[in-house]
Formats: sequence, structure tokens, C-alpha cells
Amino acid sequence: MTDVHESRESLWRLIVSPTIWAVHFLLCYITAAIWCAKYASRFGTLGPVRWLIAGYTVAALIGIALNGFGALRRHRFEAKSVPHDEDTPEDRFRFLGFATVLLAGLSAIAVIFAAVVVVFFRDCR
Amino acid sequence: MAVTPPLAVVGPRTSLGLLAFALLAGCSGRQSSLEPAGRGAERIAELFWWMSGGAILVWGLVAWLTFSAVRGRVAKHTERQARLYIIGGGAVFPTVVLAALLVYGLGMMPPLLAPAPAGSLKIAVTGEQFWWRVRYIQADGSAPVELANEIRLPVGEPVEFGLESPDVIHSFWIPALGGKMDMIPGRRTRLVLEATRTGTFRGQCAEYCGTSHALMAFPVVVLGKAEFARWLEQQRAPAAEPVESLAQQGRELFFLNGCSACHAIDGTAARGAIGPNLTHVGGRLSLGAGILPNDREAFVRWMAQTNQVKPGVLMPHFGMLPPEELNALAAYLESLR
Amino acid sequence: MKPTPRDPDPLEHEPPLEVRRAQEERLRAVWAAPRGWRYWSEVNNTAVGIWYTATAFLFFLFGGVLALLMRIQLAVPDNQFLSAEMYNQVFTVHGSVMMFLFAIPIFESIAVIFLPQMLGARDLPFPRLSAFGYWCFLLGGVFLSGSILFDAAPRGGWFMYPPLTSSYQPGIGADMWLLGFSFIEIAAIAAAVELIVGTLKCRPPGMRINLIPLYCWYVLVAAAMVLFAFPPLIAGSMLLEVERAFHWPFFDPRGGGDPLLWQHLFWLFGHPEVYIIFLPSVALIAMIVPTFAQRPIVGYSWIVLAAVGTGFLSFGLWVHHMFTTGLPGISLALFSAASEAVAIPTGVQIFCFIATIAAGRMVRSVPMLFTFGGLATFVLGGLTGVMVALASFDFQAHDTFFVVAHLHYVLIGGAVFPIIGGCYYFFPLLNGKKLSDTLGRWAFWFLFVGFNVTFLPMHFTGLRGMPRRVFTYPEGLGFDTLNLVSSIGAFVLGIGVAIVAWDIIRPKKKQPLSARNPWNAGTLEWLPAMPPENWGVRSIPEIDSRYPLWDQPNFVRDVDQGRFYLPDAEEGWRETIVTTAIDAKPVQCLRLPGPSFIPFWAAITLGGFFILGTFHWWVPALISGVVGIGVIWYWLWVGTAPIPEKVNKDVGLGVTLPLYQSGVPSVGWWAMLITMLAVFTAFVSLVFAYFFYWTIHEDFPPANSPGPGVLWPGLAAGLLLGAWAATLLARRYNRADNAPAFYITMVAGCGLALAGGAAILAGPWLTGLEPSTHVYPAIVWLLAIWTALHAGTGVIMQLYCLARRARGRMTAQHDIDIHNVALFWHFVAATAVITVGVIAGFPLVK
Repeated sequence: MTDVHESRESLWRLIVSPTIWAVHFLLCYITAAIWCAKYASRFGTLGPVRWLIAGYTVAALIGIALNGFGALRRHRFEAKSVPHDEDTPEDRFRFLGFATVLLAGLSAIAVIFAAVVVVFFRDCR
Repeated sequence: MAVTPPLAVVGPRTSLGLLAFALLAGCSGRQSSLEPAGRGAERIAELFWWMSGGAILVWGLVAWLTFSAVRGRVAKHTERQARLYIIGGGAVFPTVVLAALLVYGLGMMPPLLAPAPAGSLKIAVTGEQFWWRVRYIQADGSAPVELANEIRLPVGEPVEFGLESPDVIHSFWIPALGGKMDMIPGRRTRLVLEATRTGTFRGQCAEYCGTSHALMAFPVVVLGKAEFARWLEQQRAPAAEPVESLAQQGRELFFLNGCSACHAIDGTAARGAIGPNLTHVGGRLSLGAGILPNDREAFVRWMAQTNQVKPGVLMPHFGMLPPEELNALAAYLESLR
Repeated sequence: MKPTPRDPDPLEHEPPLEVRRAQEERLRAVWAAPRGWRYWSEVNNTAVGIWYTATAFLFFLFGGVLALLMRIQLAVPDNQFLSAEMYNQVFTVHGSVMMFLFAIPIFESIAVIFLPQMLGARDLPFPRLSAFGYWCFLLGGVFLSGSILFDAAPRGGWFMYPPLTSSYQPGIGADMWLLGFSFIEIAAIAAAVELIVGTLKCRPPGMRINLIPLYCWYVLVAAAMVLFAFPPLIAGSMLLEVERAFHWPFFDPRGGGDPLLWQHLFWLFGHPEVYIIFLPSVALIAMIVPTFAQRPIVGYSWIVLAAVGTGFLSFGLWVHHMFTTGLPGISLALFSAASEAVAIPTGVQIFCFIATIAAGRMVRSVPMLFTFGGLATFVLGGLTGVMVALASFDFQAHDTFFVVAHLHYVLIGGAVFPIIGGCYYFFPLLNGKKLSDTLGRWAFWFLFVGFNVTFLPMHFTGLRGMPRRVFTYPEGLGFDTLNLVSSIGAFVLGIGVAIVAWDIIRPKKKQPLSARNPWNAGTLEWLPAMPPENWGVRSIPEIDSRYPLWDQPNFVRDVDQGRFYLPDAEEGWRETIVTTAIDAKPVQCLRLPGPSFIPFWAAITLGGFFILGTFHWWVPALISGVVGIGVIWYWLWVGTAPIPEKVNKDVGLGVTLPLYQSGVPSVGWWAMLITMLAVFTAFVSLVFAYFFYWTIHEDFPPANSPGPGVLWPGLAAGLLLGAWAATLLARRYNRADNAPAFYITMVAGCGLALAGGAAILAGPWLTGLEPSTHVYPAIVWLLAIWTALHAGTGVIMQLYCLARRARGRMTAQHDIDIHNVALFWHFVAATAVITVGVIAGFPLVK
């Protein structure tokens, strides 16, 4: 049985996926920046950076998927559909679930966009 | 009186009209990224035209959808259809288009950033308030050939520019040849350009660098390979001795007035390194970093009204010299071809 | 499913007329604005919001005049209208004024006016803070814009890149920019704190998080972005000012600094800034469109997605302003990718509007005209944004007029058009009169045509090779005609702005009052009768719908007759209801402070610190700052958390609420938390600077530098953690009403904090680190000073708690002061541990 009481709710859950995107993005950027500034020459190879970014990406996508699928269940709570605009804790519960799903989707796209760069770059040029 | 026509009708008409107008306005694209004369500029211009076409299409589509949304009868648009708008038009369509664009754009980057092949011509350019120090690095390791405010390149060869700045941030940009690159104090940046046709172009500083940022330009001449080699050979030579007596007098004045403290003229005692090297200044296409023509009158104007011609310039003006002395100096400088 | 308790219904019967009259009299008296010159002591959100908006609009006009001067100068090649020096000041001030004195303030000022009204609240939770923010803004703004009349304005561009602004521009212009805008940014953060707490905690009962007006979602996101975007700039400005004043070489490569660090910090602020401007403006569209489509928004959740998603993604774009600085390609590519991704949520919200129009029946009106104009313009700006986001294209377009065109399409389409539309939409709520439809249409067409004639050609001007920020250009390069056309368009645009200005200021005495809710909108801000009363809402309603005016039967009547909450001001206090953040259950009846000149004096004295500092008059500046701290002490002492005469208050409909709250349920605790998040972000920016230097140097910390050692920093960390623990203990003893233990631990806490502050400074002092020699000692010193200042502020707060308890203003139950101070100390402890870990620990690891 699902508890929709306010005390079990948290707005932080809404931003889990975008936060994962942010962490993923910063990790990719910092890893590449440090590698190219400290360890590789001007046109040196990216070496392990590409594998690290691939690893970050898999981890991030798993995290986003967990957050997203959990939220999807909330969105579909008792098989009601949008617009989730009733003055009930259940509709608030569904609404936050749905918004979380959407943010998870956007975050996943943004993570994939970021990950695509390793396909094109093999060195620090 | 409908509300939407501004979007649907006036917008495209205005934009297409201006587009055509912009293309017709003047054919003097010495500084235009849309009339490319370099490998990078060609690719980027092509990208621009494709993206512009796409942008106009997308804009038209959004305008048309808005127009039909306003005009449509209520019955035609159920809430369900409206949701399809959001998912299809707002989420799926942009994601697909942007993903495609991103992949295409990223694919372009590695070649644009590629190093020049080993053995390519290397030119070190330093941006200084508000002029350009240009050094052609010699393959044999001998002292580089230094000139200022003018760059000549061989056609069809990748050239690597090493870019630096001793004072503030500048940006080295020859729109007709390719993208720009900043010159940052404490860092050394690189830019590879390859000219694809001969001609005379213009480069300009693209990062705001102080009072006369607008007056920091330089001519760029793309020459055939043999012609380029001849030109470089000639630049390598020390300055010619003045023949005309006025010019000889100017030479005396040059040293008398301390010009040599800042300027170097190879083959003479002038070894100043603060200002531009003047060894072949008379043979350049412009004076004052691309802002004055190269003739005697311009030399006089530059020396007498330095700060009016280029506000904030470091060089002191020599307006206190009598006109005949300025004229003599100008004659000397003009003779340095 | 558990049955949920039903919401209270409004009173079934109308209260007797004389009761209602008496209630109205009391409300009117409590909420009345002071008269005469004391009017300027008003703190009510409507009054302050209107001053704020009007001032921001005046700065907009000023910035616009500067733009016209630039367009005159650029109309023809080799023009002599403005000198190079003057032009450089004009474009610097134009950009700075439009960003810092118009775009940001107008978002906050519009929100200050309307947020409480949309939330059925009588005011924001901290009215005096809004007034303080306004006075700071006015003072700083006049000081900065006035400088151009004395030929002393900043001239380093609104982006202020060093070394140009650090070593090559003596004179006070750059100091004015750095200190003046830091001051204004602090005010902007104050307003952001207020707006966040207002949205989360001051909603009407029943307005669950799925029912709040979309405007509030946008404001929530934008205000949260301010918290994380402004601090990097404040930190950067601090570094740059310290470099200018004391020659600590943060950005000077000769001392190991790097100009690029400034660019990172600046754009870490600068790009989110664009969305901080855009989101609250598009929020106006999100209110206007449902009203004129006469139906609820389609895709409410999608818009929430768009707002929140944009808020996040906008922090991953900053390097796209640095595509030509020679960073590794893969870094550029990452930011290209994020810059493309951010277009997705932007597209979503535009399609939500189109879908709403499609599913409704559109009513034509001036606000809709501006909405369409704004969207048409913004979409084009967005499309060119997608273009410049591709690094490869940006190599050409960067720093040219193409970017000038792009950013004006985005900002004028995304912000100015919606704001003017919002002005036509909301104007009746200010004084009961509508703006003129006819003038509105004329203004629109001048603006729309003028705008496009000005900026469309600039795309080509830029690609044909004209860089930005040039005071002139030679003839015959192919942009003479384009520039002339732009200049002509600028004046057409100017006429449009003039028409709007005239429509706003023209006398409206004879004009009949607008009908109540003239557009038949569905949200709470349209409750007031015309002209509106100062009290905001007659009674605070119970909400069941996103559009209560459309959906709740007899809603306006029930509000008007005081059938909902708080219909009275029996005790003569300004009051509003505090609710929970998610389901908006009432938790407190909040008593709000009334009119006062304290915020004004606080702004003057703190402003004095910054302004006198500009002239390097350090002693008067310091005196002004100390007086400022005194004023703030006095403000808090007399104005905050008074102990109420009774514990609970009946707010009507059978609901009884406490008058005092401390800790998590209180608004003050939230304000402290949010403020400290911003402060902590500034600190993180400084730590980032330390590691940035590590990445660019082969050898950092330099092998030959002694560093601050381990002993003193380690001791400092221990002492400050002790002070933190003592503060937490003191909170517990206070709650237990154990006065002796409270005093002992608190005094001990003060001692530990002072010793800790001294110890952290002792490290670099005793090892003789000389900050002007190299960036390493400079950044170590700065981190140490930052921590010491935190400890010092913590001591003042501890002393405040001691004094409050001693004077009986803080008791075992009424302990919000020490709750907030303890919260502050959590952040001091974190700051101390991180600082010590960095300055003492990192050299060991390395």
C-alpha cells in the first residue's frame, strides 16, 4: 500500500535526475580538463578519459532509470491520468511522480548528448 | 484584424527580404565569413547556410502551428490532440533534430582543431594594444623574420599560428579564412588556417582589448607559393639604404628623435622591441594596424596625430616636430620597402 | 486508500454587515501606508514592488538611450559622434544596466508585487527585507549609472575581462563596477531568498504543490538559480577587486594567476543569468495564455519540467562563451552538447502555449499581441542560439554582431515583449485603471517592426566580419548599409518604447475604473476589487483548484465577505498564514513587521561601505560598514521574532494556529538555510579557484613556498568545530531552560570561535606567506580570511543570542534566534573543515 501522506513526500526526489545529470556533466568535464591539463600533451591521446566517461554514463543512466521508473509508478497510481489537478494528496502524489518522470527523461537525453562527445574525440586537440 | 499575421506573414517576408538584401549589399567581402577563402571558413559557411535553411523551416512551422491554433475552431482541437502537440512538437521533434545537428557539428570539430602537418609554415603572432607583432618562424632554426600588422600566406598550405599576448586578451580573426582564436596573456593558443584562393583579405581583433579595439586590424595577402617564397625572402633581407636625400635626412631624424628606442629596422642600429618592426614598413599595405593607407601623407598624419588617429595608443605623438622634419621622416619610412 | 480529512468550507452564512465593516476598518488601518514623507518607510510588497518596478523601468529607458547613442555612432563608417573612450563606457554601461539594473530587478520586482497576490498571501514573509533590497538597488544603481555623466564610468565591457580591467584601466570605473554590482547582487540574493520562502511557505491553505500558479514555479526556479549563479560572480568580483586594490595576482599570469579563471567564474554566473531573466518573463506568458484562451493550461507538468530542467541545464553552458579560448576540443564539445540539450525544455514550454491556444478559444487582446510578438522573436533567437551553441559555427560567430543579434532576439523576445505584455495585462491591479488598447497596438507595431529592422541585419553584419564592441568601422567592408538600417530601426524601436512609457505615465484621473477581473482570469491575483485595497486579499481563501476563480463556486463572494481565513486584524498586526511546503497545510499565523526606515538606513550604511570603498577611502568605508552591522543588529533586535502575547490564534473556520514557530517549520530558518546555500556557493567558487590553479601549474602548491603549515590550520579546525559544538549544546540547554549551562556554553563558544578565527589567520601569517608575490599565497590567504570572517560573524551571532536571552527576548520556547544561529554554525563548521583540508591537507597529499 502506498502512503501518500505529506510527511512521506519530498521535493528533493523531483530533482534527483537533473542532479545526476549535473554530477555526470561535471565529472566528464573535470576528468577531461585535468587529464588534458596535467597528464596529456597538447595533442596527446585521451586514453582512459573516454572509458571513464563511458563508465560515468552507464552509472548515471542507471540512476536516472531507477528514479524515473519509481516515479512512473507514482504517476500511474490508481491508474489515473493527467492533468493531476485535483486538491487531493493522491493527485499531488501523481503530479510529483509525473514531473519526476519528465525530468528523468530530459536528464537521460542530456546525459546521452554529453556522452556522445567521446565518439568524436580521441585526443586533447 | 487578426492577431497572428505579424508572425505568419510579416516575419518571413521581412526576413527573406533582408536576407536577399544582405546578400546583395556590397560585394567587398574582404572580411566576410560568408565569402570564404579558406578551408575552415568554407566548412563553417556551409554549416551556416544549412542551419539557416533549417532555422527558417522550423520558424515557419512554429508560426504556422500558432496561426492554425488561433484560427482553428475549438471543436477541431481536443485536449488529446493538444497533448500530441506538446509531445510531438515540443519534445520528440526538437530532440531528434538537435541530436542530428549535434552529431554533425561535433563531427566537424576534430578537423577544424587538427594540428598542421609536420613541416608546415609556422607564424607566431602577438596581439598588443593595438597592433600585431608577426614572426615567421624559420624552418632552419635561425632568428624569425619579424614584421608587423600584415600577414602573407601561401595558398593551399596549412599554416599554424602560435598566438600570444603580453598585455590584455585579444582575438586573432581572419573571417575569410576561418574561425578566430583568443590571444591570452600567460597562455599560448594555436590556430591552423589554410587559404584556398589567392587574394587580399582583412583580419581584425575580435576580443575587446581597450580604447582602440576597433582600430586593430591587418591586411592578409594570400599568394601563390612561388610568389610567397619570393616575398618572404625579401622580408628576410635587411632594410634598404635610403637613396633620396630627403629620406637620408629622415634617417638621421629617426635616430635623433629616439624612434629607435622602440622600433627596430634590421640592418641599422635601430633595435627597439617595444613597437612594430619597421624594416619593410614602406612595402606594407597599410599603416597603424590596418587603419591608414600606406603613403607619405599617412605617415605624417600618424606621427603628428598619433593619439587622434588611434586613441589610447602607447606611441607618443611627434606633432611638435616641424612639418619638414615629419616629411623627411615619412620619406625615409616610405623608402623602407 | 486512507480517507483524507476534508478541507474546511467557507462560512456557510454571510457575517453580519456591521461585523464585516468593523473588520474592514481594522484591516484597512493596519495595512494603511504611512502618509507624507513617511510614505517612504512603507514595506508592504505592493508599494515596494511598484517603486522597484518603476525604478527598473527608468533604468531600462536609460539603457535604451545609451543604445541609441551607440546606434548613432555606428550609423555611418568612421563617425566622430562619440569618442572611443566614451563609446566604450556607453556600451559597458548599456550592457551592465540592462542586465543588473533592469532585467534581474524587474523579474524580482514584478514577483514582489504579484507573488503574494497569486498566493493569496497578504505580503511576503520578510517585507523589510524587500524594502532593504529596493534601497540597495536604488542606491547602487544611481551611483553606477551616474558615473557616465562624469566620464568616470566602467569601460571594461559588462564582462570585465582581466587583465584589461585589472592592470590596464586605472581610475575608479572598474572598482565601481565590481563593488557596486556586488552590492546590488547581494540585494538580488536577498530578494531571491524572500521569493523562495514566499513560494514554499506562504501559500493559501489547500494550494498543494500541484495547484500552484505556473508563475510561482518559474519564480521558484529562477530565484533558486540566483542563489547558485550570483555567488561565483561575487567571489570573482572579490578576487578582481583585491587584485586591483592590493595586487594579489589572481588573474595576472606574471604572478601565476590566469585571466581564464575570471571567465569561468563570470560565465558560471553569466549564462544562468540569461535564463534567470528569461524564465520569469516566460512565466508571465504562462499566466496570460490561459486567460486569453479561457481554459486551463495544457501540459502543466510539462511546463514544470521545462522550468526545472532549464534551471539545471543552464548551469552546464558557461563554457560556450569561451569556445575560442583554446580549451581542449572535448571540453568545448561537452558544453556544445549541453547547450543543444537546453533547447529541448525551451521548446516544450512554447508548445504548451500553442497547445493551450489550440485547445481553447482565443480572445484577442494587447497582452496576447505582445505574447505572439515575443514568441516569434524568441523562437528565432532560440534557433540562432542552437547555431552558436555548435562550437564549430561559433568559431566564426563568436564576438561578432551575429551574437549581438542573437542575444537581443533572446532577451527582447524572451523578456522585454512578455514584460510589456504583462504590463498591459496586470496594470489594472496597480491602480484600477487599464492601459490604452490603442496605444498598446501602436506601441507593439513600432516595437516589433523596429526591433526586427534593427537586429535582423546584424546577423549578417556579424558574419560579414564586424566584431562586437567596436566604436567605429571603415567604409567599404560590406556592412555600411546594414549598419545604417540597424540604426534607423533602433529609432523606430525607441518610438515604441516611448509610446509604452507615455501610456504608463499619462494622467488617468478621468478614465473610468477597470472592471473587476477585467480579462476573466482564473487565478488569485485577480481577486481584488478596483481599485485594490492595501490589504491584498480580504480573507485568505481555501484553495481547491489551479484556477479557483473559474472553478470554485461563489469564490469571490466568499473571499469578499470574509468567509475564509484571517478576515480581521483584531490585535492590530499585519498577518498572513504560513503553510507547509507540499500540501499547504496551515502551520503558523505569521505577524509581519510594519513600516520602518530601518531598511533604508541599513542600505545607506552598507552601501556606504561599498561606495566609499570604490574611492579607496578605507577608513570611512569601514566605519560605514560597522555602523551598518549595528543597524542590522538593531533591525533584528526590535523587528524580528517578537514573543507574542498569546500562544495560538483562531484564524477562522475552526483553525487555530501558533503565532510563533522556530526551527524547520518557521520561515526564518528557511531564509537562513537558503542564504547560507548562496554564501557556501561563493566559498565553493574560491575552492574551485584553488584547484583551478593546481590544474594550470606544473607545480602547485609551488615547491619553494612554505604554505600555511599543518599546525595552525589544524588547530583552527579543532577550535571552530568546538565553537560549533558549543553552539549546538547551547541550543539544547536553552530549550531545556538551563540558563547557567546556556550562558557557559555560549560564552565558551564565543571564545573558541575567536581563537579559531585567529588560528586560521596565524597559519599563513606565521609562515610568512606574502600574497602579492604569487597566486598561491594569495588564494591561501583569501580562503583563511573567508573562514575567519565566518567565525567573526558567528561570534556576533552568538553574542546576539546571549543578549536576547539576557533581555528575555529569547526563552526556552521562543528560541528561533539560536536555531538560526546554530544553522549558520553548521555552515561555518563545513567551511572551516574544507578550508583546512584544502590549504593544509592538499599540500600533504600532493
